[in-house]
Amino acid sequence: MRIEEHPILSFKKGPKVRFTFDGKTYEGYEDEPIAAALHAAGVRTLGHSHKLGRPRGFYCAIGNCSSCLMVVNGEPNVRVCVEKLKDGMVVETQKGKGDLR
Amino acid sequence: MKKTEIVVVGGGPAGLSAAINAASLGAKVTVFDRNSQLGGQLVKQTHMFFGSQKQYASIRGVDIADILTNELMKYKDNIEIHTDSTVIGMYEDGMLTVEQDGKYMKIKPQSVIVTTGASEKFLTFPNNDLPGIYGAGAVQTLMNVYGVAPGDSVLMIGAGNIGLIVSYQLMQAGIKVKAIIDAAPKIGGYLVHASKIRRMGVPIMTSYTVKYAHGTEKLEKVTIWRLDEKWQPMPGTELDIEADVMCISVGLSPLAELLWQIGCDMKFVPELGGHVPVRNEELETSMKGIYVAGDVAGVEEASAAMVEGRLAGLCAAKNLGYTSDQFDALKADYLDQLNALRSGPVGEKIRKGLDQLVG
Amino acid sequence: MLEKTGIATEQDLAGIMPPKERLAQGPVAVIECFQRIPCNPCYTACKRGAIQEFEDINDRPVIDVDKCNGCGICISNCPGLSIFVIDETYSDTEALVKIPYEFLPLPEEGTFITALDREGKAVCRAKVHKVLNSKAQDKTPVVSLIVPKEFSMVVRCFSIDDFYSDNTIICRCEEITLGQVRELIRKGYRSLDEIKRISRAGMGPCQGRTCRQLIMQEIAAATGVKMGEQRMSTFRPPAKPIKLGALLGGDDHE
Ligand SMILES: Cc1cc2nc3c(=O)[nH]c(=O)nc-3n(C[C@H](O)[C@H](O)[C@H](O)COP(=O)(O)OP(=O)(O)OC[C@H]3O[C@@H](n4cnc5c(N)ncnc54)[C@H](O)[C@@H]3O)c2cc1C
Ligand code: SF4
Ligand code: SF4
Repeated sequence: MRIEEHPILSFKKGPKVRFTFDGKTYEGYEDEPIAAALHAAGVRTLGHSHKLGRPRGFYCAIGNCSSCLMVVNGEPNVRVCVEKLKDGMVVETQKGKGDLR
Repeated sequence: MKKTEIVVVGGGPAGLSAAINAASLGAKVTVFDRNSQLGGQLVKQTHMFFGSQKQYASIRGVDIADILTNELMKYKDNIEIHTDSTVIGMYEDGMLTVEQDGKYMKIKPQSVIVTTGASEKFLTFPNNDLPGIYGAGAVQTLMNVYGVAPGDSVLMIGAGNIGLIVSYQLMQAGIKVKAIIDAAPKIGGYLVHASKIRRMGVPIMTSYTVKYAHGTEKLEKVTIWRLDEKWQPMPGTELDIEADVMCISVGLSPLAELLWQIGCDMKFVPELGGHVPVRNEELETSMKGIYVAGDVAGVEEASAAMVEGRLAGLCAAKNLGYTSDQFDALKADYLDQLNALRSGPVGEKIRKGLDQLVG
Repeated sequence: MLEKTGIATEQDLAGIMPPKERLAQGPVAVIECFQRIPCNPCYTACKRGAIQEFEDINDRPVIDVDKCNGCGICISNCPGLSIFVIDETYSDTEALVKIPYEFLPLPEEGTFITALDREGKAVCRAKVHKVLNSKAQDKTPVVSLIVPKEFSMVVRCFSIDDFYSDNTIICRCEEITLGQVRELIRKGYRSLDEIKRISRAGMGPCQGRTCRQLIMQEIAAATGVKMGEQRMSTFRPPAKPIKLGALLGGDDHE
């Protein structure tokens, strides 16, 4: 959900771009964090913890806590709360810890 | 390897103020901030700040960030700014390592002013890792920087200034705040903030804490219960509150990793939020040439952070030979401002904490 | 208690209430800032010197009500949003209350909103007199509301929703609107019982538990007769809905 009107702030947004999340297409604004675009589209659960399989969203939103690791354009362990959204990005839920490259 | 005279780590109110003063005296200053925008916590604050005119009272946090950034730009010949740049290492020989766009950079200044701010504390209760349970900073970033609503209805944990202000900001963004709860028997934040939220119909429940968070894939409901005078939960007092977001704001602790790395003397002072660096009146730590200012030196307020930044910038520059005949007067004025800000009842905790650092 | 709930108590308020004689002279600021905090923009904002200089920045503001002319400049400068201006000379029965309001949508002048007290509870319907939102307010607009005089020290906030509009259902059992009740009062029905008998409001299964207070409030607003002085309606058993069979004394025959 986007905040359309605000009594104090006006939001600077980049151009609209499209990306996919687990195969489905979504829209967001360029250069906002991937997590913000997903959240605006109603996606809260970004993955599951690798040991107990517990659902995971972001927690700190500034790249501290690493609760929001996802696979972006094939690369695992991307902190989507700080990674900037670009047109055509392929975002996927991460299974396991991701391979070291 | 790059060279500069003074590196300021962090571009919040403390860092910007430090950079302004050092650069205005003629020192070459490089500022690093891991965010894409300067201002630190200020860029997320839609409310008017307290303090006096010298600390920009009655101006909104977002606007203070612009004022400071513009002031800094007046000295652009002496200033280099790197945003999206995280300082990841500080070494005893004075070397700093910085990550910028996935690349690493080394820099060796003659002096460093660390103004990294603070990080949020967390809370333990069953299911505290469900999506929808967010730190107050995350909620602020999402809604005030990116314009995305964190959810439909929020339960706020913590009635300190941050909990109260973020609740108010949630309402400004059109989001329902179900209640604000706090384990303490009294509201910790300013009562004027509490009153302006209460009169919008939001209950503030002191002596309450979280018992359980419910939900399968994301937060759906929270059970809270009351605490007695000994802070023990009272069975039978449980209340269920439906909310898709729980916002946790139970305090901050100084983000002092870099100071640990380089070996500064640290002391645990709960009144200042946790481990803080030992320093002298001029804000120089036990390591020569390493200064601190703002929340990293003890969690306080932006007003004090700005004055501390000015003081640290002034003194760091002087140590490198950049000074003015105003030095003594300015230093005395900054110390006076800090004393005044900390002199009342809400500054008592800070005073107690600082007393433990002297000597 | 203010420290536990955020709601100022009678006692807190007693210390800052402007004297009656001053209220009778025109608009005046009421400063509801009860804690010592490091803050002083109210003092710097007031160009008339009505707010005393702070010796210590933590001092509580002290106002000289005779110097204050109720201009309201301080309202938008107070970070605590704790300054209001009261004008009890607006009319014989009504006062103006000026409130800082940083939310959207802003109400429009001349419309009706629901006035709230310090707890956020609905107090009465109020007409929006003015909305100041220029550069001087710097995004802290000041909304003045016209409220019955007895609420001038009670109303401190509002909801943009007009809970008390003519279309609002006041008796949910019989689906009677506030507008219908107001019309009856205008026609001269002046007691709860009269209105109940003519409209059936209060005769449904809840037996007036939801609408009784509201109707009495309306009568008070229209006639000036305080709620405590109005005649209560007649109460007859049963006090809750029961099946007719129960009255026959025998088995429940459905
Ligand atoms: C909701 C809320 C409301 C507040 N309201 C008020 C108020 O009304 N009045 C008031 O006076 N104060 C208020 N404060 C407090 C005030 O914001 C802080 O005290 C102040 O921001 C501290 O300033 P700082 O410069 O020390 O830290 P920060 O503002 O936190 O800035 C630190 C900066 O350092 C950067 N950084 C950290 N680590 C690194 C690294 N390794 N490399 C590069 N950069 C790094 C961060 O990105 C950040 O930009 C409020 C705080 C919050 C959260
Ligand atoms: S209403 Fe005007 S005169 Fe009165 S205290 Fe405020 S600024 Fe001063
Ligand atoms: S400006 Fe407002 S919050 Fe600050 S001291 Fe004055 S009345 Fe209190």
